[in-house]
Amino acid sequence: MSDRHLTTTTDPAGVHPLTLVVVSAGMSDASSTSLLADRLAEAVRDGLDGAPVRIERVDLRPLAHAIADHLLTGFPGPPLRAALEAVTRADALIAATPTFKASYSGLFKSFFDLLDEAALEDLPVLVAATGGTARHSLMLDSAMRPLFAHLKALVLPLGVYAATEDWAGVSLESRIRRAGAQLARLLAAGAGQDARTAGALPAGAARQERGDEFAGVPDFADLLARAGR
Amino acid sequence: MQFGIFTIGDVTEDPTTGRTPTEHEGIRATVEIAKKAEEVGLDVFATGQHHNPPFVAPANPPILLASIAAQTERIQLSTATTLITTTDPVRIAEDYAYLQHLSGGRVDLTMGRGNTGPVYPWFGQDIRQGIPLAIEHYSLLHRLWREDVVNWQGRFRSALQGFTSTPRPLDDVAPFVWHGSIRSPEIPEQAAYYGDGFFHNNIFWPAEHTRRMVEFYRARYEHYGHGAADQAIVGLGGQVFMRRNSQDAVREFRPYFDNAPVYGHGPSLEDFTEQTPLTVGSPQQVIEKTLAFRDYAGDYQRQLFLMDHAGLPLKTVLEQLDLLGEEVVPVLRREFAALKPAHVPEAPTHASLVARRRAGQDPVPGGTEDSPAGRARAAQATTQTTQQTTQQTTQQTTQQTTERAHR
Repeated sequence: MSDRHLTTTTDPAGVHPLTLVVVSAGMSDASSTSLLADRLAEAVRDGLDGAPVRIERVDLRPLAHAIADHLLTGFPGPPLRAALEAVTRADALIAATPTFKASYSGLFKSFFDLLDEAALEDLPVLVAATGGTARHSLMLDSAMRPLFAHLKALVLPLGVYAATEDWAGVSLESRIRRAGAQLARLLAAGAGQDARTAGALPAGAARQERGDEFAGVPDFADLLARAGR
Repeated sequence: MQFGIFTIGDVTEDPTTGRTPTEHEGIRATVEIAKKAEEVGLDVFATGQHHNPPFVAPANPPILLASIAAQTERIQLSTATTLITTTDPVRIAEDYAYLQHLSGGRVDLTMGRGNTGPVYPWFGQDIRQGIPLAIEHYSLLHRLWREDVVNWQGRFRSALQGFTSTPRPLDDVAPFVWHGSIRSPEIPEQAAYYGDGFFHNNIFWPAEHTRRMVEFYRARYEHYGHGAADQAIVGLGGQVFMRRNSQDAVREFRPYFDNAPVYGHGPSLEDFTEQTPLTVGSPQQVIEKTLAFRDYAGDYQRQLFLMDHAGLPLKTVLEQLDLLGEEVVPVLRREFAALKPAHVPEAPTHASLVARRRAGQDPVPGGTEDSPAGRARAAQATTQTTQQTTQQTTQQTTQQTTERAHR
């Protein structure tokens, strides 16, 4: 299987660059959803004023079969595992989906259904969606926010909804800039990597433990004592 | 090393004929398969426990295993798995001890929690309590087989006053217990604590996951002082379909794979073969893939194959067992034995457990004082005493200061 769903841009100047993961559930190859997601990622990069950032694109379309397989078998194949790990290790996330029937697409939801419950905790998330008409734009607040709130992510106050008419309009560019800048400011203020590794753990340990089911297993004597309660 | 088969007893339509066996046929086929396993020289037959269609695995495995014990001479009878969560541990103690007597000690069992949600409330339990149930029930079962008179109270079952589980285990030696879990690290932790075996049913899982579960169990086994990590008792699953010509195997098995319970209608046969222990091919391919389990699980004690699921007809299953017994297992036995260092133990049997008990070497749950776990407990106790003393001193000083201030 090709790995075109996962594009990595490395900033050679950065020793420990921030990692911005961009998940796009766009369905066609030149999809407006992926275009919106990329524009947002550029806006974040610009807002960071030269601070190194690594941008990883996760396209869900080539992972569609793998996502269904995981739902059935309970484990991810190698390309899907890489995508899930990329999101779990991210310092910030841009999540973009087309609007299907007043909500995110089923594929988008299925991907996030496969993440560990704690995988997105404290993760700054910029939500974005595309649709045929601006009349669906509240889906950012009615569908996407509740999903990421459930996953305990830090959903940015600004989200970007791009309807078909917006691509020929004048306001989309400025909305993308504002949202990208907001995420950049949050990252510059230490959200993301620092916040997610806060606490007594050495740097990086918290992120390593995320998704490590062996990290917090209590001693059996404690399990035994607890079972009786 | 022990080689055997395990069955989940699924009654599944044969996708090539559209025919579904009756329960009666399924049950009789299970007995035939077990007898055949002994005939072709396998060491273990293990059955699942089920309470719901479409399965004919028994609700109480000793019923099936007792019948097989009466029709066989040598094969070890086991479970995959015994539901420790929804079965009363008193009945497990009684029924498996009885089976020990009937079978001349040819019985061990694998504890599992069961992942079928609806089963739990049928027995007054709740799947969300799966781990605490497995822990409490097994701690009671462990005592029922080792103490003649048990006084006990817990959270999930009525209390016992002066209770004696009968019959007492054969030669006063409890059946060996394996603990099975695919995902929950609490279970290898439990297995290690007691010095019991750990069975990872890896058949639907990538090697990397199995490696981590087994490594965790081994490390904890050593921590509890039951032996070095590489002496821990490990069992693995496997799933194979063979024909002498591997392309014939693929062609014949594909419809069963595509429609199988669990993974059917999901990944392709090729992807699944690449990612999991499933081997569809020649006996030689099965040998190579199975030998490679050792690369990530270390030297292990028991290898069980799933041979009879997904609607495969009995005739085909019996042919598969012929191939397994004649062409695969003898080679695996030889190769694994040549690789295994001398200090790595074989799978426990009744005879070895009797000898261990006579030698006073039964594992101490949680480890002796000399084990790393025991030393950690002692160190912690010392720290706590020091902290208490420090606290008392601080309190006294505070009190004295306060008193002085009041004077």
